[in-house]
Amino acid sequence: MMQEKRTIKVSKQKDGYGITFNAMACSCEVLIQTSDKNLAKQVGLCVSDEVWRIEDKYSRYDRQSICSQINTSEGRKVSIDEETYLLLNFAEQCYQLSDGLFDISSGVLRKVWAFDGLSCECQHFPNQDDINNILSFVGWHKVIYDRHSITLPNKMQIDFGGIGKEYAVDRCILLAKQLTDKPLLVNLGGDLAVTGPREENQPWQVAIENPKSNKPEKKQDMIIAINQGALATSGDAKRFLIKDGIRYGHILNAKTGWPVAEAPRSITTVAPQCIQAGILATLALLQGKDAESFLTEQEITFWARR
Amino acid sequence: MACIGNKTNLKAALSIATSALLGTSVATTSQVQAKDADEWQFDTAYLLYSEVDRVTAGEAIIAGTKTYANDEILNLKFTVDALTGSSANGAVAQPNAQTFTRPSGNGQYVTPAGETPLDDTFQDTRVQLNGQWTQPLVENITGSVGGHFSKEYDYLSLGVNGNLAYDFNKKNSTFSMGLSYFHDIFTPEGGIPKPLSSMLVGDSSSPEWDSEFAKTRVGDSEDKSTADILVGFTQVISRRMITAFNYSYSMVDGYLTDPFKVVSVLNTEGLVQDNIYENRPDSRVKQSTFMQAKYHFDEGMLNMVADVSYRYMWDDWGINSHTIDTRFNIPVGRASYIEPHLRFYQQSAADFFKPFLIEDQSSIDFISADYRIGEMTAVTVGAKYGVVLTGGNELSIRLEYYHQMPTNSGFAEPAALNGLDTAPVVDAIIVQVSYSF
Amino acid sequence: MWLKSNFIKNTMVNKAKKIIIPTLLINLTACANLGVEPWERDLLAKKEMALTSSPVDAALDDHIYFSKEASSGGKSFGGGGCGCN
Repeated sequence: MMQEKRTIKVSKQKDGYGITFNAMACSCEVLIQTSDKNLAKQVGLCVSDEVWRIEDKYSRYDRQSICSQINTSEGRKVSIDEETYLLLNFAEQCYQLSDGLFDISSGVLRKVWAFDGLSCECQHFPNQDDINNILSFVGWHKVIYDRHSITLPNKMQIDFGGIGKEYAVDRCILLAKQLTDKPLLVNLGGDLAVTGPREENQPWQVAIENPKSNKPEKKQDMIIAINQGALATSGDAKRFLIKDGIRYGHILNAKTGWPVAEAPRSITTVAPQCIQAGILATLALLQGKDAESFLTEQEITFWARR
Repeated sequence: MACIGNKTNLKAALSIATSALLGTSVATTSQVQAKDADEWQFDTAYLLYSEVDRVTAGEAIIAGTKTYANDEILNLKFTVDALTGSSANGAVAQPNAQTFTRPSGNGQYVTPAGETPLDDTFQDTRVQLNGQWTQPLVENITGSVGGHFSKEYDYLSLGVNGNLAYDFNKKNSTFSMGLSYFHDIFTPEGGIPKPLSSMLVGDSSSPEWDSEFAKTRVGDSEDKSTADILVGFTQVISRRMITAFNYSYSMVDGYLTDPFKVVSVLNTEGLVQDNIYENRPDSRVKQSTFMQAKYHFDEGMLNMVADVSYRYMWDDWGINSHTIDTRFNIPVGRASYIEPHLRFYQQSAADFFKPFLIEDQSSIDFISADYRIGEMTAVTVGAKYGVVLTGGNELSIRLEYYHQMPTNSGFAEPAALNGLDTAPVVDAIIVQVSYSF
Repeated sequence: MWLKSNFIKNTMVNKAKKIIIPTLLINLTACANLGVEPWERDLLAKKEMALTSSPVDAALDDHIYFSKEASSGGKSFGGGGCGCN
């Protein structure tokens, strides 16, 4: 596995500094409104260290991560620390709140669903028996965990991918706030949060892909003004299947084992914390064609692209 | 299609799950401003109260709440109410018709034989304004201050209140203490009657009337002040249950008599000889203890929320009362609820309460025949139905029936009153429509 | 018609005393062990579980009972306000 180079780059911007680095398979940046270059660098190092720390700990691709240790435990008890316990608890809450639709143990379904980025019409639909077999290894209710350990039944896998990046954003905001009062924004590949408004109560201007634009050449970004809170985007623009004219995204329903039909291509939501925005976007996508009305009913601000 | 809980539940639950994960406290009301969304939350209600053959009142409220960036809350409330109809004046029914003078001194009214004397001059409109500001002061301590202004034709009331609340034990316990002070000024039409003096009955158009009436008056206006202290403790018992306990101590000083009420003076047979204006002490100290529990049941019990409370009040006028109030909020479908309500109230009579005076009884300092400080039992039965409309606004309608029964605290009835209804029951219907947006 | 109620009155007071005292004692001794973790507040956060779930209804009712009965407050301040009682 090719390791991305772990360096940060500090560059001067119009009224502050931008720090960029690569992590979690995406471009990451921190924008800080200060004239103090040293502070910008200090914040940049702190944020990037935290993002890489979380990546090393929870990435399923990293053989030394706690996630991989749990996934290769073959049913044995694995000891965990406080942070992992809190993340598992959070995953538990989401599992309960979504009535089992959001399930971090549903990753194994990937084995029967092959999504490739380029082709659209796909013949590789698994049959129901394959799905049923795999479903016996899915189910958060089968996981046993407590403050100190987790026992994952053999052949089950957990994946923090659905919450890892957003959790990292929120952690970075917390740490950055301890270092400085200066307004700053942390953006990890489109999941972002701000510490507060910019100087003189000006909002941060953030561009998201125009929800109404379907032509990649004419991509006009839509600008959102954000004063507080976070944005997260969940979507499947590049990974989907079409069969019999119905579009299936790559978000899988953990209860049926099938991808969700007629979901929007992407949903961007707004919430006080990035992890909340992320979960809400994912829960919305799980509603398929009812994604927008689900979010409207919950009074969440969002943009959907179909 | 998944059935995810109602909107408040999901957002609130996610906020709490997030705060547990990140170790920070997260407000459940969204503070996100991604497009300047700073909104007021309004609650409006219109209520109609109607007693059979007596008072009818209408009241309208509009209240607005706004939460600011640092968890500061501003609440403003505007209330208008109007009252019309007749109210018992304290005198007893008689086998013959009776004539009384209106409180203003301008005119008389006649009560038919066998009926409870009712004064129908009550028509008033009142306007009230309240404001309350609440904000966190330091970690775990919240403060609140507020003001009250209320004005009707003959009454002015001004009040202030302050409160401190301390959360501890992971915000499972809260201890609070509050103080309030009200100053009321009363300027009844017709002035303040001389206590225990006889009601002047005659021809109000005759030339001597005004000067004779003025002799029964001791002033134009009076005032009273009320100081309250309220101490409270709330405790979360479990994920499904919360409880609260309050103690309050209240001191009222000033003019506490009702200038519109009289007491009938009867001879030994029970026939009215005179009606005298009532007189109450110029101070009253009330104390109460209050406890409440709310429990959220699970699907087996319809996911309903039960609310039960009990209040015991006692004062230095000899009145003590018990109030038991129960409500059950039962969700119906995804967006509506029905809430049956039952209230039981019982009070004992004030020491100086007498439904009437017998002529040869010894001289008295204080006396009142006002049924509202007499011994009584009252029951309220009602139900409320609410529905959340698309867009999140809520509409609800509430219907209640109030039945108040005076009970005899040990007064023997003279012969002339036999067969007459000397303790009339009060029956009232309450209808309320509310809209929140 | 008048109802004789002394008996009822005394029973009610005794019953009340039997409820108040044990409840207070239970509460004082058990406080430290009671409560929930912040992530267990999902039900408690619902509007229906607030101690006063409808302040407007409560204000309207308080006004009615203040005008028709001799008690007021208990849950909140009961002072002053209008010329009803």
